Amino acid sequence: MKKIILIFICLILCGCENYAELNKLSIVTAAGIDKKDDKYEITLLIANSPKNETTSKEGEAKTTVYQSTGKSIAEAIKKIDKKTPKQLYFSHINVIVISEEIGKEGFFKVADWWIRHPQTRNKFYLIQVNQNKAGNVLKIVSPLESFPSQNIATLIESNKNSRSIGDTASYSNFISRVLKPGYEAIMPTIKINGNVKEGSKRENLETANPKTYLSLGPLAIYKKDKLIKTTTKKETDAIYILNNEAKELIYTINYKNNLLNIFSNSLKTKIKLKNKNEADIYIKMKGTIYETNGKIDLNNIKEIEKTWNKSLKKDLKKLIKNVQNKYQSDIFGFGNLIYKNYPQRWKQIKNNWNEKYFKKFKINIHSNAKITSTASLTKTLEKSD
Amino acid sequence: MQKINKNIDKVIKEIKKIYGNSSDIITRTINIKGNKVGFLFLESTSQTDAISDYIIKSAIYTEKSKNIFNNLFNILKNKLFNSQLLVTNDFEKFPYYLSSGFTILIVEGNDKAIVMETKANLDRGITESSSEPIIRGSKDSFTESHAKNLGLIRKRIKDPNLWFEEIKIGRRTKTKTTIAYINGIADNKKIMQIKKRLTKIDIDGILDSGNIRDYLTVQKSIFPQIKSSERPDMVCQELLNGKIIILVENSPFTLILPTVFLDFIRSPEDQNEKAINITFTRILRFFALIITILTPALYIAVATYDQNTIPDKLLISLAVQREGVPFPTFFEIILFMTIFEILRESDLKSPTNMSSAMSIVGALVLGQAAVDAALVSPITIIIVAITSICSLIFQDSDFINGIRFWRFLFITASSMLGAIGILSMTLIWITKMASLENLNTSFLAPLAPFNKNDNKDAIIKATIPNIYKRPKYLNVQNIIKQGGKK
Repeated sequence: MKKIILIFICLILCGCENYAELNKLSIVTAAGIDKKDDKYEITLLIANSPKNETTSKEGEAKTTVYQSTGKSIAEAIKKIDKKTPKQLYFSHINVIVISEEIGKEGFFKVADWWIRHPQTRNKFYLIQVNQNKAGNVLKIVSPLESFPSQNIATLIESNKNSRSIGDTASYSNFISRVLKPGYEAIMPTIKINGNVKEGSKRENLETANPKTYLSLGPLAIYKKDKLIKTTTKKETDAIYILNNEAKELIYTINYKNNLLNIFSNSLKTKIKLKNKNEADIYIKMKGTIYETNGKIDLNNIKEIEKTWNKSLKKDLKKLIKNVQNKYQSDIFGFGNLIYKNYPQRWKQIKNNWNEKYFKKFKINIHSNAKITSTASLTKTLEKSD
Repeated sequence: MQKINKNIDKVIKEIKKIYGNSSDIITRTINIKGNKVGFLFLESTSQTDAISDYIIKSAIYTEKSKNIFNNLFNILKNKLFNSQLLVTNDFEKFPYYLSSGFTILIVEGNDKAIVMETKANLDRGITESSSEPIIRGSKDSFTESHAKNLGLIRKRIKDPNLWFEEIKIGRRTKTKTTIAYINGIADNKKIMQIKKRLTKIDIDGILDSGNIRDYLTVQKSIFPQIKSSERPDMVCQELLNGKIIILVENSPFTLILPTVFLDFIRSPEDQNEKAINITFTRILRFFALIITILTPALYIAVATYDQNTIPDKLLISLAVQREGVPFPTFFEIILFMTIFEILRESDLKSPTNMSSAMSIVGALVLGQAAVDAALVSPITIIIVAITSICSLIFQDSDFINGIRFWRFLFITASSMLGAIGILSMTLIWITKMASLENLNTSFLAPLAPFNKNDNKDAIIKATIPNIYKRPKYLNVQNIIKQGGKK
């Protein structure tokens, strides 16, 4: 009996320390970081609130957005904590959205709190908003998903195959790219189409054609943790090809004044270092004819392949040139290859790699694109006389 | 031993005195060829028409002689074929014979008595098993008749090495208790131990095999250490494996010794169906066991301490469901677990025509209305439902109640320490089970201590042609089960 009482006392004394009932928690699923004057503006999305301004469908979880400013992230969040009646709970953060200003200033300045906090899981998506406030992204409700953070997460996940954005978008991927020697980071962007005010209202859900919605934008190129430039759609495709991350790709070429779409679902890119100043890129691609809009002789596949290879090379060369000269950020990791193969050389050049040596680095592209089939149609549609 | 009085009037008087002039005792004295002959029997336990038709009628034709006793015995012996017929001179055995349905014949001037079996059929017939129903397999089950029960076993195992050893337990009930085993297979040490424990019992009465169960175990445990079965096929299977069976008169439930933990996960039909399917079913039962013990505790741990361990969609769904519920999660679970246990108990005890009312009240009022009234969250109802459905997979009610006890311990631990509480309680649980031992057999055998051969019929079941040996943990005399392989 004494033993039982002792065990019981032990349990009671050391237990109940981090006890929290579920309905006493505010589950934060997304955060937005903005710059307002010289202060940070933090937006938190709370998923389980019974009543609020941005409500979703009946019977589903309803979300609230809280905003506060502070000199530091911690200060702003403390202010939000005072506003909410329940305890903020950070372990289920899905998405962190940062604005362009935060990107330009450097993400590491604001990253510390999210990693240091014992509740967070470091498994969230990191995404940068294009030409808008990060807080606004969290306010947009979607008719297809129950709450905005879920909306962003599924948007990223469903694009994983076609653009492999899932790997790029994760927070750990970003950090590891920044910390690797001779590697620079890229970050996906998100865009708000339409009016923010309308998008946060219930009516946005009720129309068949929602006026405001979110869409993924092109990649943003970073140097260290700072934003350099947001690329175009074409450049984004090229970055994915060179990074060996694209799994499905639709490539449009101009063939004898007609547009020809090629769908590629097999792509392999290998980068080999030739010597200290030169690298070869081997691209193997297989594709099928996806769509034609004119009279094209599909029997002459060799020539179509030639055109495709040519246009592919042209696009990639253009991108590499831009990255080397304009952006001066080695997002392909040539520096990392030098670091691995010629560590002595890397020691000498690492401080000026992006600015001085990367420009002079010679890159040869060998592309081997093949068309395997013309899909269900063997010819283009036309009336035969 | 007490001698029988030569004066039959005195004997009759004494018997009536012993029975306190009970209304069912019938005595008759008739004159056969000048000898006074007395008939004694109990109306309640004997077949009265058989007594008058055969015994009295035959007795009348006895040849005349000075002492009619021997003639009487001879004529009954030759004319009545289907009864036990013996001569006794022990008066002390009279009440036992009378209560068992015998007729006693006493002749004036003799200190011996003729005893004839005229037992009335007080048993129900052999019916289908109600507590262990199966689909594929024999349908008969043990009844209250001891002889029939032994017969059901003997019918299946014709080997004369199937031995029945009878011990009478209970000062007043004198209940026949039979230890059944196959000589040459079962471990003699275990038989000796069981006999020793049974002969030590000194109690007024044993009415069911459940009464002697606690005499046969040494250690205390919530889980039953002896399995009981009312299926002869199951019992014979265990006999062939080298186990020892105890049958108690008037009880359709036999005790199987020694019992291990996995016996409760096995089902009698496991031998009759395809081995691969049985393996899956057993894994399913094992999962059900884990689910029924752990689910409520896991829910409490996740909902009150370790919210970060579950996916966000699930967490939010749980949080939204708990909105507006006034009780802490722990109390909510305990409350509904208790209500379910009450419901189960009352369902077991109520007559069948009342159980439909019970299910309406249980399902509608408790289930739906409690959720509508925001007394509990819907997830609690789901948790309690899963837990109770999984616990009903098992047939032994003692086992189910053992699970229930541990479930409440797990709930308490997790409500104090969360996942760490569950972990430590699991350790305590496994330690406790592993330390159990009865008749030199570990409760967790053959899992711990592990034996490769015995695991052919543990959780994974090999096909019958592939099981060559009997379980080693039973320490049998002859381990070879089937030929064909050295």
